[in-house]
Amino acid sequence: MRQSRADARAAYLFLLPFLVLLVVFFGYAAVRAVYFSFTDYDMFSRPEWVGLSNYRRLFEDALFLSALRNSVVYAVVVTTTQTFLALVMAAVLNQRIRGIGFFRSAFYMPSITSSVVITLIFLWMFQRRGVINYLIEAFQRYSPVLGAFLLLAVGLQLVQVLIERSRGLPAGWLDPALAVVSLLVAGAGTWLLNGIGVVYPREVPTFDFVWLQTTDAVPAGAPFWLQAPLPLVAIMIQNVFTTVPTFMLMYLAAMQDVPRSQYEAAALDGAGPVQQFFYVTIPALRPVTFLVLTLGTIGTLKMFDQVAVFGNAVPLRSMVTLAYFVYDRMFPGASLPQVGFAAAAALFLAALTLIVVLIQRRFVRSEAV
Amino acid sequence: MTTATLAAKAKAAGISEEAFRRWQARRRWSRAALVYAVMLFFGILLVGPLLFATVSSLKSDPLEYPPSLNIAQLDPRNWAAAARLGVAGARDRWFGGFAPGAVVPFEVRYFVPDGVEAAPPEVVVPRRRPGAGLGAVLRIDFAADYASVSDVRLVESQAGTVLDADGEAVPGTFLTYGFEITYEGEGPEVQRLPLDVTASPGVRFVGSTLAPTRMERRGRTASFDDVAPGVLGYVFHNYVRVFNEVRSPSTGQSLFLNWILNSFSYAFFRIVTSIAIATMAGYALARLRFRGRELIFILVLFAQMIPDQVLFISNYLVLRDGLIDFGGFKLSALWGQPGGLLNSMTGLVFISALQTATVFMMKQFFETLPREVEEAASIDGASHWQRFSRVVLPMARPALGAVVVLQFQGAWNEFFWSFVILTSPEQVKTLPIGLLSFRNTYGGIGDWGLILSGAVLSALPVIVLFFVFQRYFLEGVSFGGGKE
Repeated sequence: MRQSRADARAAYLFLLPFLVLLVVFFGYAAVRAVYFSFTDYDMFSRPEWVGLSNYRRLFEDALFLSALRNSVVYAVVVTTTQTFLALVMAAVLNQRIRGIGFFRSAFYMPSITSSVVITLIFLWMFQRRGVINYLIEAFQRYSPVLGAFLLLAVGLQLVQVLIERSRGLPAGWLDPALAVVSLLVAGAGTWLLNGIGVVYPREVPTFDFVWLQTTDAVPAGAPFWLQAPLPLVAIMIQNVFTTVPTFMLMYLAAMQDVPRSQYEAAALDGAGPVQQFFYVTIPALRPVTFLVLTLGTIGTLKMFDQVAVFGNAVPLRSMVTLAYFVYDRMFPGASLPQVGFAAAAALFLAALTLIVVLIQRRFVRSEAV
Repeated sequence: MTTATLAAKAKAAGISEEAFRRWQARRRWSRAALVYAVMLFFGILLVGPLLFATVSSLKSDPLEYPPSLNIAQLDPRNWAAAARLGVAGARDRWFGGFAPGAVVPFEVRYFVPDGVEAAPPEVVVPRRRPGAGLGAVLRIDFAADYASVSDVRLVESQAGTVLDADGEAVPGTFLTYGFEITYEGEGPEVQRLPLDVTASPGVRFVGSTLAPTRMERRGRTASFDDVAPGVLGYVFHNYVRVFNEVRSPSTGQSLFLNWILNSFSYAFFRIVTSIAIATMAGYALARLRFRGRELIFILVLFAQMIPDQVLFISNYLVLRDGLIDFGGFKLSALWGQPGGLLNSMTGLVFISALQTATVFMMKQFFETLPREVEEAASIDGASHWQRFSRVVLPMARPALGAVVVLQFQGAWNEFFWSFVILTSPEQVKTLPIGLLSFRNTYGGIGDWGLILSGAVLSALPVIVLFFVFQRYFLEGVSFGGGKE
């Protein structure tokens, strides 16, 4: 008994600095945010109680509705895309081969670099006469050559597999040995066709697409709630680029922990590689998938840095997110801060995050049972 | 695969077991080749933008279209010329300059098509300000005030042909003109020696001692930012500008240097405070029994899900009030900050001392340590503090290493709180916020050379750290996501 009382006293002392910070910068801050959300406050005069009117006004505010739409569309598109891509990339790379460590480090580079640096680099690439537009133009120009290459490769693969099969060998449609031959021969063939002038790059106009200084949204004719403004699409591309490697490494680590015996058992039951992937790998990865989805949702819903860095290069309404909306109402530039309004929006964002995470948890769990 | 099934499959295919084995080996090798190819592709996709931005940051105009990898700054002939000119200008082969007594020889080569009258080019040392923006109000010395250009003389004349746009050969003459730029009299050493060389109409610029920074007036004027740059001053032109041109208007100090120092000191204080607090809290949560333990643990998990934007409203006000405002007297006045904690490193460190994720990580780690050693120490009469500092902390060294590395990365890349707290003056900012003011000042006028070099420089420390302590970063992944 005395031991446990001494334990408790020591524990509180150990925790003291942490608890003070937690109480001031988390507890007090959260409570005050709730309080402010029911008041009208400009940081200088006294807060005035206004009840629920801040929350009501949120849904009449055009910028807030844009922010809500942008945040939700952004979170859904980015979380889905990056989870899917991370899974696919991990599946491709889940091979026991030498030198994987080197590539793993290389893949990780975008994730360790600061968001400001990556955003600046992407801002540069998305300029009207920037690298992205140049690559798209190059792709358009060389599309006939690329098409010829793909056609040749697919044709060669088809012919080779059919020949192997007629010999009785169990070659799959994507047989790697034959694929290497197909790709190499198709490459040489395309080069030849280009040399004798059968296939040649197309003349295309300069691709001068405006990514940033625009209020256009895609898909063009879709209703407001299903559209993504172009600058937001640029941020989506950037964010997928930076987070996919991290999530891919998480998947890769989990994949290498799946016991081999499960694959062997599945193989005995006659499951091919594709079936093994869907019936062994994916179910075994469920906990990681939950983690990836949760981290992805939390991360995307609080997207802020990119909006701040893009700044005046983009019309605010075309990229504002809920997180940035809160900041924008706290520091609206020329006018007085609208602290109550900002707090209401912040709490709305917190509630949205919690609800989505809880739904994901329930959904993934009930599937697992 | 067992021998029996192998034999059966070979038999089904109607070939010998040996041939079947070879067939399979061939497939294995090809698969490895394909996987390497795919990894290379992913690698180019993921590292490509960073590498391309790094290489482009050397260019005088990173927005050049079409973007090309043929960069004058990477041509060894220009390195040699830059070193020679740097020595001629200020006896400094690395950073060059223009010092009293300097005589800088320079040559320009033109092609004159037959039938065109060629006059010697016009050479001017322009009174041009390097860059605009932050620090542009500071007084600087202009090379134009001290330089005099000698007469331009014809050095060499040689008949030849060039190909025009349609691939037709055009006959004409190659003319090489030479001149010297001399520093007259006494004066300060000037950092750069800009030069404009304008050819007479109809002639074509072929080359010069050093490649021009840009061609102006439809190719008639070859404009040089610095004709006595030295090797580093030439290749890392934009990087030198980052440090030299971006200065505080009030003190004249290099802002970029200031931001680097701020980022390092922030990282240091954040590492120290967050580790001290998180190890103690993590230890208590992992090892000691007390009332409220579950509640605190739930709060720790919950706090990680709450967006910073919810908390920053109140926290901003708390820092503005210097923690507590007793009707005009702010608590932070006790340690000499009577104006509150906004725009100060202390405020930023206060906010970032609360690292719930690190507390969680330390708790998880302490739970993996064996209890026996601690129990033995406790029987020997060691107090809780002695057990913690003498027994547990030494065992926790590997975990602490990971925390230091991850906290450094977190501090170096920290954006939101610095963005809110550190707004003015420019000297108080950390690197990411400083880069943002770079972008606001130079993005509009398209001076991307400066922005990209700043970005590359600020990415370097974390990348170096990553290659040295890779495993800590990868452990960070398994602890849940790493990056926010």
